[in-house]
Amino acid sequence: MSGITWHYVLKFIITGDAAVGKSSLLIRLTDQRFLANPDPTLGVEFGSKLITIPEEDKIVKLQCWDTAGTESFRSITRSYYRGAAGCLLVYDVTSRKSFTNTRSWLADVREHADPHLTCILVGNKVDLCEGDLNGRRREVPTEEAELWAKEEGLLFVEASAKSGQNVEDAFVRAASDILSKIRRGVFDDDRSPGVKLSKPNGDLALEQGRAKQACCS
Amino acid sequence: MEFFSQTYVALRGPTGAPQTAADTIGKLSDRLSPATLLADRRAAVLALKGLARDCKHDVGDRALPGLLEVLSNDAEVDAEIGKAVLETLNILCDVEEGLSTSKEVGFKHTDYVLANEKTVHILFALLGDSNFYTRLATLQYLSTLLQNRRQVVQSYFLKAPTGTGSVVSVLEDKREVIRNEAIMMVQGLISQSPDIQKVLAFEGAFEKLFNTVTQEGGVEGGAVANAALTCVDGLLRFNTSNQSYFRETPLPPVLCSLLLFPPSLQNRDSAPQEFALQFWDGQKQANATLVVGIIGMLIGTKGSSAQEASAFTRCLVEMALASNAPTPLKTQALRLLPSNLNFPLSEIVLTPYMPVPETNGEEWDRLEPASALDALTELALHGEYNGLESAKRIKEGLELRAAAVSVFENFVRKDEIKLAIVQAMLPTEDTGPSGVPMTPLLHALITPPSSTSSLDSASVTSTHLAALLFSHLLRSSPRAKSLARLITPPPASTHPEHGAGNFFVPADGAPPPPPPHPEFDDDEPPQTLLHILSENLSLSFLSRSRASTSDRESREWDRLVVGYLCLLSQWLWEDPESVRDFLDAGGFGVLVEPINQTSEVDSIVPALCAFLLGICYEFDREPGEITRTTIYPILSRLSVDTLVGRMARLREDDRFKAVGPDSVVLPYPSASYLQPSLKPETEDEGEIWFDWAFVDFWKSNYYTIQRGLSTEPDQLSSASGQNAETVMLVASLRDVIRNQSEEIERLQRQLKDRSSSQEDELIALKKQVDTLSSELQVSEERRRDTEKEQEDLLVLLDEVTSKRKRDKARLREAGQEVSEDEGDDDDDDDGNSE
Ligand SMILES: Nc1nc2c(ncn2[C@@H]2O[C@H](COP(=O)(O)OP(=O)(O)O)[C@@H](O)[C@H]2O)c(=O)[nH]1
Ligand SMILES: [Mg+2]
Repeated sequence: MSGITWHYVLKFIITGDAAVGKSSLLIRLTDQRFLANPDPTLGVEFGSKLITIPEEDKIVKLQCWDTAGTESFRSITRSYYRGAAGCLLVYDVTSRKSFTNTRSWLADVREHADPHLTCILVGNKVDLCEGDLNGRRREVPTEEAELWAKEEGLLFVEASAKSGQNVEDAFVRAASDILSKIRRGVFDDDRSPGVKLSKPNGDLALEQGRAKQACCS
Repeated sequence: MEFFSQTYVALRGPTGAPQTAADTIGKLSDRLSPATLLADRRAAVLALKGLARDCKHDVGDRALPGLLEVLSNDAEVDAEIGKAVLETLNILCDVEEGLSTSKEVGFKHTDYVLANEKTVHILFALLGDSNFYTRLATLQYLSTLLQNRRQVVQSYFLKAPTGTGSVVSVLEDKREVIRNEAIMMVQGLISQSPDIQKVLAFEGAFEKLFNTVTQEGGVEGGAVANAALTCVDGLLRFNTSNQSYFRETPLPPVLCSLLLFPPSLQNRDSAPQEFALQFWDGQKQANATLVVGIIGMLIGTKGSSAQEASAFTRCLVEMALASNAPTPLKTQALRLLPSNLNFPLSEIVLTPYMPVPETNGEEWDRLEPASALDALTELALHGEYNGLESAKRIKEGLELRAAAVSVFENFVRKDEIKLAIVQAMLPTEDTGPSGVPMTPLLHALITPPSSTSSLDSASVTSTHLAALLFSHLLRSSPRAKSLARLITPPPASTHPEHGAGNFFVPADGAPPPPPPHPEFDDDEPPQTLLHILSENLSLSFLSRSRASTSDRESREWDRLVVGYLCLLSQWLWEDPESVRDFLDAGGFGVLVEPINQTSEVDSIVPALCAFLLGICYEFDREPGEITRTTIYPILSRLSVDTLVGRMARLREDDRFKAVGPDSVVLPYPSASYLQPSLKPETEDEGEIWFDWAFVDFWKSNYYTIQRGLSTEPDQLSSASGQNAETVMLVASLRDVIRNQSEEIERLQRQLKDRSSSQEDELIALKKQVDTLSSELQVSEERRRDTEKEQEDLLVLLDEVTSKRKRDKARLREAGQEVSEDEGDDDDDDDGNSE
């Protein structure tokens, strides 16, 4: 029922403390919307989007899982790490604590994910710091986060699910990085668990059940 | 053998004296300690396993802590002890077998094991062990724990350091026994836990489960395919994330393929016979039910692409209308069609089939292709396979027909579609009144109840269901109602008894002879549909009151009467012109009688008569013979209280109360305590009285009618204030419109008069202008000529004058005398004037 219109499928996960805006980033990416009061029971925790990576001249299908609900029981979140090609590690620029916690999230990622997983640190809710000259609301300076990201070898961006600023960009940057790894042969033979090359006519050609022939007079 | 000797020693005791079971269990439990040798521990576990079933309580009491320790320390190292300890624990926690006390003990042990997360974590870790027996026993034990205390196990699973990966990988264990056990366990694990469902889907559970289903032979597969499909359903239902993800996989079309339906079938192509005609048995039906359920869930939730939705819808429509699938499956397929059906039913062409008689469902006749809409209507009117079994009125068959009626209701919810269908029952301009089309629906609706032979229950059901279909066409559509008033069906008798449309003939058989051209009595205009219905209603009332009628038969007459009354109520509601037609057809008198003669047996017919009577009174707003003023005294004589009381009893009747949006078919005979002689003719006989749409209609409107009954005839409208206002408003607006249109007409006439007289004038003036301008031109020319002449003369004069001057000068030179008078003319003039 669906034609192949992309070159790669990349599995992404979005992780970080509760309430940093993971669901909001996902909804912004897939639906171009922002909900001021998202219903946590709505359970929209998967979304996909086609994006173009101009410098690689490739179309990529991003499949993103929001690891929501699992913040309280980290263990199962680890299952997602293992199967992902990319990870958005999200904190809230107005919450010091959410930034501090990214260290332990990252440690988890390092322990369980594929070593070649691309991780981008996303400081969300920058809209709250706009026109906030004396930086009363901001609790995490850009420079500090950027420096830490550099030390840890993470990509970094500040974004806002509310205004949409840098949201798609965050995904595009992470995806480009993954594609460049593929191009450089970092993954042997697309073997990263989160990367799938679309095969021509990639339908699962499932054999039909052995139907007995009915007769018709 | 070591095992036997050890056990023997344990049982007999070192002194050889017989021991109590409790002593033995105590001794064996002590040996579970890590301090003993592995071989001794193994022997002790095996011995305890042997005792566990019979001494469940004691073994649990004494040995559980030790057993759990063995599980934690030894199971991974020693497969044999692992298997034994898992099996022992499984017996101890089992709540399936035995007496209720044994079950209680099972729960008690389960709670002990689940007191903390340790054991569950060990179990999920053990799943990674590839030893056959360890894996199998672990899966079995997890299933038991999940069955007893699902939520606790689930919460521990979410915190387990490992687990999801091994759970998904055991789903595709090459060893069938393990794979099957894994599917059973996963069914419990995912139940009502969106987080677990999501993570298993992420890990690829869908792909694994579909592989199993196909390996097992798809819907032809047995219990394993069934369990795998149940898991797929469990991962998807109520989980929007997983539904979105599933739609991204190549799996949705596989659902169609599993039913042998080609997922990319074009609208213009017909479904293959291998899909339409299959061999069915109970297991296959159960499997297909799951597949159809998943398809229905996916089209019923938002997010499916148009292409996917259309393939799924087509698959369900074909299965329901043109296949030999079991009846409940067809009903399910119809019920799962999306509630805002947007499918071109009238454009899709189907090939229905009929079983060849006496071939036990092994041979089938292909029938003429028909549109899906025609096939749907046919199914509702006559039942499966052209009404083959409809005389038996099996509950299942009625459920299918009721589901078809609901799909029809859903399909005609747009006014355009209603109008198009009703329009098709009207004569077209080129056929004239003699070419009135007879659609199968119309035919079933007007078939007169046979008053001579005893009543054919199949035909009653057809007429009743036709009334339900027709009421869906009219309800709350003023335009459809006014079109329907114009329907004048040709006499029903000129058509074949079993009024199926002529598309329902075997493809290789000759079409039935065309009906003889109906002879019209020139004196009488053809009867309108509304007229025929009120006559049939009257006929049914007569027949049901005949003394010779059996209880069973009189119940059928009641059913027919109920069908007519429900349709008429919905038709006449808010439609004064239809009320007028009905009253003119003598409908009023037909209603009054049954209200008066009420029996204990039957409360719904008088209730509906009172209701319809109230509707007639309420909406009798068009001038005519029977006005509100005529009706009012009759209402008073019947007494408004009586009428209200009759109406109130409908709501108490089981046949009315039991109806819900999805439960229209009742077991025969429902509410039969008043007629104890009634017995079902077949074990699963069913019957239909009301559909949900009517129940809903009644509930929202009976109060208006009830209050309307006590309004004075000259009062504009009844009780319900808003309604009265509306009616008044409409009446006054009508007046305004009438006045305005008269005014407009007058003005237009004036305008026309005026413009025609102006035109004449204009023509005359134009003519005048023409002549004047040509006259002007002539005189102008003349003037110009004169001017020129004058000019010429002046020039001549000038010449002459200057010549004279020259001549005079010459003469003077020659010394001749010349008079000066002429030369001083001007000066002289001045002088002269002085
Ligand atoms: N101002 C602002 N609020 C945001 C932004 N992103 C999320 N929020 C709000 O933060 C709260 C938590 O967001 P949610 O997406 O549910 O966080 P999650 O728990 O990480 O999924 C919600 O009230 C959002 O409306 C943002 O970029 N700017
Ligand atoms: Mg969330």
